[in-house]
Amino acid sequence: MSTVGTPADRLPDETLLAGLGAGDADLSVAFVRRFQAVVFGVAVTVLHDRNLAEDVAQQAFERAWRHAQMFDGRQGTVRGWLTRITHNLAIDTLRVRTSAPVDPGDLAELLTEVADSTERVAVARDSAAGLRSALRRLPKEQARAVTMAGIYGMTAREIGDAEGVPVGTAKTRIRYGLQKLRAALLPEDADDE
Amino acid sequence: MSEPTDSTGTSCDGFAAMAAELALGVLTGRERAAALAHLDGCESCRELVRELTMTGEELLALLPSREPPAGFETRVLERIGLSAASRAQPGPRRRADRPADGGAHGPAAGRPPGRPRTRMRSVLSAAAVVVALVVAGLGGWGLRTATAPPTSSSVGYPSSALSRAALVTTAHQTVGMVFVYNHTPWWMYMSVNLGDVGDVTVKCQLENAHGQFTTIGSFRLSEGYGTWGSPYAIGDGIVGARLLSANNTVLATATFS
Repeated sequence: MSTVGTPADRLPDETLLAGLGAGDADLSVAFVRRFQAVVFGVAVTVLHDRNLAEDVAQQAFERAWRHAQMFDGRQGTVRGWLTRITHNLAIDTLRVRTSAPVDPGDLAELLTEVADSTERVAVARDSAAGLRSALRRLPKEQARAVTMAGIYGMTAREIGDAEGVPVGTAKTRIRYGLQKLRAALLPEDADDE
Repeated sequence: MSEPTDSTGTSCDGFAAMAAELALGVLTGRERAAALAHLDGCESCRELVRELTMTGEELLALLPSREPPAGFETRVLERIGLSAASRAQPGPRRRADRPADGGAHGPAAGRPPGRPRTRMRSVLSAAAVVVALVVAGLGGWGLRTATAPPTSSSVGYPSSALSRAALVTTAHQTVGMVFVYNHTPWWMYMSVNLGDVGDVTVKCQLENAHGQFTTIGSFRLSEGYGTWGSPYAIGDGIVGARLLSANNTVLATATFS
């Protein structure tokens, strides 16, 4: 490649996405390199299977390529958009593959990882740091319920079955847990229930 | 909240009990249908769901990154029609051909090289795209379109924000591609392959709706080929671009439709 001027890997996310959508080789390569660890991370976290995760991650990039023109920067970031695509694909794959609830050990490990502040907070966005903090402050049963629903795509009924509680209780945990996380992202509204 | 109940009998309080599950995409069956019906007529509850959806997406953003297996990048590029061989080709010919939305998955191997593609057509077919996106599982995007019927501006925005046009010489030869991101931060990018012209410096200008050209910058081509990107500060409303030689001879022009 003979790139002069601003290298493609320093261009904004939106420009790389535009290039991917248009089939530009240099921008497509830069786009994949920039986001492949994020996409694969989401997929393998949900699926716990590297082979399945790679297939899902490839599908995610293909969808981004196919639907790049539908990205709307007013609605969020490219990273968020791509993460959502990947997550939905992973959840669909998970549902086809198994009806078993998430392994309790995996859930505990994931909760520790996403709420851990020791490594990433220094470079993270304020909202991410606030969310991690709020996640740590949640009652454990609410944190588990929100994680099972939000990351593993489990319904309230599935969460109730996994936790041995009535479906109404699972719904309440999801609701209050997510509301508290939302409050953490809206400082003026932040108040622990 | 604006209305005590909607036509399905769901109140805002009743909806609030389902909002988190709807936002996380785990509400099923009749509850989901009732929730969406309520949202159609309740702006404040739409805002609640929007905030909860954003919260869910922030939660996903906390997931750890993981390096994929070796060769992943190559396999992705092959999947979208950018094989290593095609990437080795110069300049504007190095583009993936994509099937029209709704077609079979995978690159459209049968599309003739250089044939104008029909990306805009899918954007204009709003209803079909909305359905496709929901089926494609694009999450909040599907929710947004489901809860607020798309307007012409919302549907048209992406295509107008991400414009592209071919750089064409006076001899009608396509020698590159220009991309303009018509939204803050304004950025442009171009790839150029002028062929056998050696190592030369070229200049890029953008044209506004009043026909005024502004020089954005210059860059050097290596053996006639180069890619270049730059922010620009002349606002939106870009209608064209042109490539000039060092002595200001117009080498190629592009017009954004």
